[in-house]
Amino acid sequence: MATTTTSLSSSSSPVLQSFDTFRADLDDYNDRRERLIKASRDITNLSKKAIFLLHRLVQNPADANEDQPTHYKKAAQQGYEKLREIQDLYAKLQPELEGDKYWRYQRQVSPGLQEYIEALSFAHYLDHGTLITFDEVQKTLMTADGVKFFPLTVSDYLLGLSDLTGELMRFAISGIANKGGRQKASEVCAFVRRCKADFEGLTPYIRDLRKKQSVTTQSLEKIEDAAYAIFVRSSEYDLPPEILDDIVAQSVSNYSSHTYETRGHRRDLHAGSDDENGAI
Amino acid sequence: MESNELEHINKLLDSDIELREKIKEQVNELDKKTRIMAGLLNKIHSTPSDAMPALLESVRPILFSCRDVTSKLSEIIPENQFWRWKDMWSNSLRTAVYAAVLIEYLSKRTLLTIAQTAEMLGITAECSDRMALPAEDYLHALISLVNELSRLAVNAVTLGNFEEPIKISTFVKELFAGFSMLNLKNDALRRRFDSLKYDIKKIEEVVYDVSLRKLTSVPPPKTVENP
Repeated sequence: MATTTTSLSSSSSPVLQSFDTFRADLDDYNDRRERLIKASRDITNLSKKAIFLLHRLVQNPADANEDQPTHYKKAAQQGYEKLREIQDLYAKLQPELEGDKYWRYQRQVSPGLQEYIEALSFAHYLDHGTLITFDEVQKTLMTADGVKFFPLTVSDYLLGLSDLTGELMRFAISGIANKGGRQKASEVCAFVRRCKADFEGLTPYIRDLRKKQSVTTQSLEKIEDAAYAIFVRSSEYDLPPEILDDIVAQSVSNYSSHTYETRGHRRDLHAGSDDENGAI
Repeated sequence: MESNELEHINKLLDSDIELREKIKEQVNELDKKTRIMAGLLNKIHSTPSDAMPALLESVRPILFSCRDVTSKLSEIIPENQFWRWKDMWSNSLRTAVYAAVLIEYLSKRTLLTIAQTAEMLGITAECSDRMALPAEDYLHALISLVNELSRLAVNAVTLGNFEEPIKISTFVKELFAGFSMLNLKNDALRRRFDSLKYDIKKIEEVVYDVSLRKLTSVPPPKTVENP
């Protein structure tokens, strides 16, 4: 069969000639698909790095002369810097996704894009304390003169944001022992609760959003439990929150040898970040 | 989420839902047509060769009427969004393509090209970002064609048409050679291609049986009636 194939493929048989075209078509499709899968994986990696970077930066103690919002804003700026690498990648991918091609390869683009939106929305939250809007996300994915690299979908936007809640949970809990951490945790708690409520009405329209909602619920419960524990314990002391902060901070520094254990525990939490169900 | 942002998102989602419903309506229409065609074309297995042209002619008008659906779809689908929605009608479109290539083969003994098929179904190159006939769907239809022809090879003999399996065999072998030229990845098309060899084997066996008994040189007996 193989010999007939090769000898016929260059012959004039119209049937085989059209299969020649199909081969070129399919090869082109598969090659582009592979390239986009690889690019999507790179983007996922870069996004994860940006998220870790943001977590590290906010955990670092703030300079004595800067308040908490400034500290977070500075972290967000560095996060944006990192995310620019991803935006450059998307700019390079633009020709691969031109015209009707974006929708053909949307399934290959989606995973990396959602991860990017997760990282971007985390930086945005640290910067502004709000949820990034759909148009703001699209704005990061266009050329300087306003040509979109590709049209952002509501589905990718919402699924990316849905992952943000997991990062916020980590952010709230790992910062809970820091100065002002309890106040921040309760802010985050309220924010995540609002996100969950907003997304709830959209679940019927977005495939996979329901699954992510249950992860969001778990994250929310973890923050709530932490907030509860802190509240109950602090109620035993009739002291203003700043003094409690100082007591906690002092004991942390006094027991630096001991903290290895607890730090190890917290590290688990970071290592588990890949897994959206990351155990606490 | 700010309330106006939520509204914005909801509006975007609503317009998608509306679009999906409009498309669904057309796809249902196409489904109806393809089911009727598939039903009629089932009769090729019990139709003697002299009655075949009439049967094929009866399917043609329905096939042509698929143009109404494809032209409506190309109006409904927004610019560049062909691939976003195509999964909704892939199956029905493949059946329509299958009907087109089967009718062409049985009436002219040639393979209807993808361009001819697209033209027959009213799919034009100008609006290919909204409505197109992808090679993948055409190839799926060709495999359905081979599946059907392997059955026909058997049933034609039962009806006393001993030439049919030999014609089919030549045609199917050429298609198989064509498919062998493709670099298929592990998807549905690849799995269906892998099953083609059983169809070929079946056809070969019929050809073998017929030639061994020298049935091809004998004129078909007149006594065999359409069951």
